[in-house]
Amino acid sequence: MAAIFAYLDAGSGSMIVQLVLGGFAAVAVSIKLWWRRLLRFLRIRPAEPAEQEASPTAGD
Amino acid sequence: MALDPGSFRDPDSRVYLADDGVYRLLSERGRDDWLALRDAPVFAAATAGGTLVATEAVERSAVPGLDGEPAAAILRHERVPFVSYPYEWTFGMLRDAALLQLDLLARALEDGLILKDSSPYNVQWRGAAPVFIDVGSFERLRPGEPWVGYRQFCMLFLYPLMLTAYRGVPFQPWLRGSLEGIAPADAARLLARRDRLRRGVMTNVVLHAKLERRYAAVQGREVKRELRGAGFGAELVKANVRKMRKLVERLRWEPGDTAWTAYGEDDGYAAADRDAKAAFVRAAAARRPRRLAWDLGANDGDYARIAADAGCETVLAMDADHPTVELLHRALKRDGERRIVPLVVDVCDPSPGLGWRGRERAPLLDRGRPDLVLCLALVHHLAITRNVPLADVVAWLHALGGELVVEFPGREDPMVQRLLAAKNDDAHTDYELDAFERALGEAFEIRRREALPSGARVLFEATPR
Repeated sequence: MAAIFAYLDAGSGSMIVQLVLGGFAAVAVSIKLWWRRLLRFLRIRPAEPAEQEASPTAGD
Repeated sequence: MALDPGSFRDPDSRVYLADDGVYRLLSERGRDDWLALRDAPVFAAATAGGTLVATEAVERSAVPGLDGEPAAAILRHERVPFVSYPYEWTFGMLRDAALLQLDLLARALEDGLILKDSSPYNVQWRGAAPVFIDVGSFERLRPGEPWVGYRQFCMLFLYPLMLTAYRGVPFQPWLRGSLEGIAPADAARLLARRDRLRRGVMTNVVLHAKLERRYAAVQGREVKRELRGAGFGAELVKANVRKMRKLVERLRWEPGDTAWTAYGEDDGYAAADRDAKAAFVRAAAARRPRRLAWDLGANDGDYARIAADAGCETVLAMDADHPTVELLHRALKRDGERRIVPLVVDVCDPSPGLGWRGRERAPLLDRGRPDLVLCLALVHHLAITRNVPLADVVAWLHALGGELVVEFPGREDPMVQRLLAAKNDDAHTDYELDAFERALGEAFEIRRREALPSGARVLFEATPR
């Protein structure tokens, strides 16, 4: 829900740096992200619907 | 009542300017965020400490000229004396604004709030003290949310400061060149390889740029979900904000000497001249109460101080030389000065209108006309060094609209001699007291005229016709 409410684009790379800065296991997150993209590329997993998290009135 | 042309980015919080104040119209979500802020300790503490602009909720009926504008709630803000922009600030000012942003953010996080952006345009000045003006920036922190404003903080605060602290390159032209600031990839290219060993560069710049390139195609929403899944939360944001504060606090820049930093000590004035000039400025400034004075070519700010002491509510001390203004800012900060705002402004190249439709950031002149203009030891630099025709200098002073105190250094003045020596013999033959006085008399009513004891300089006090 958060993403569609934020008026500022946080930037994907910028969010991952924050993990690194926080001393977090950024590698695990980036592998997961990469893995999802791979599955999607191989069409094992469907692409995300664009407005999946939008409110019901979003299309008004 | 008109929408502030610079306020359109955040649909939850729009700023309207009216004659009697600044109003903020909130959406429903904006109102809920405001109510959360209003009841949070950070609001009372920052407002009492003067670091957050004074704010009150008002009824729609109390706001004139609102018509049918939608608003779930309306706030009224105290007006800051003059709106300035980061490309007019010194290194120390941008750094103080960054620290204020981080302090408010850290304090807000304690109360379950966060700042949704990190823009230096949200900071203004009461003298040398920064004030955060965007109450609409505060929002409720959602669980698992990263620091959304981190990238903007880097681009508009951290990289410009690093550029000056680590490379000695003034940041102002970069911020004036791009309202979005310096992109991570550009910052990585601007800093030298050996700078990578410096604090904060490897992660906040180099890695940031690499990851931005690598994850350009990945949806932000997807990353957010993964971050949440990995246990990212408020504690991590707090830790990152703390680290950033330490980093910014340690960024230093020493201005060094320029032709102007020692001007006040070695400006060719006899003490008698200086005293006479101070008395002249004091008398002119004290003639009536004034809201806003501009001191053009303010240097060490002596005359800005005299004007403030004589009753000018706010004095903008402008000078084109960044090191000089930085030293002035440090001195004003040391003194706890709240009336004088130092700004890096080259009067031959003042800030233009920038951003969306050229109106998002207003030109310097549109942000508040001076009631009083001090133009001391400046005319010769404009006319001789910068080649502005004397009549045009006068026309410009007239266009500023305020009463004027202007100094004309004659040809026999040692500084004028020095400036002329750099030019051909036949250049600036029209630089004469008579010609200046004639042009001045046509545009202004000259109220007072006084030759300084050394005989080489003449002061005028004048009212525009």
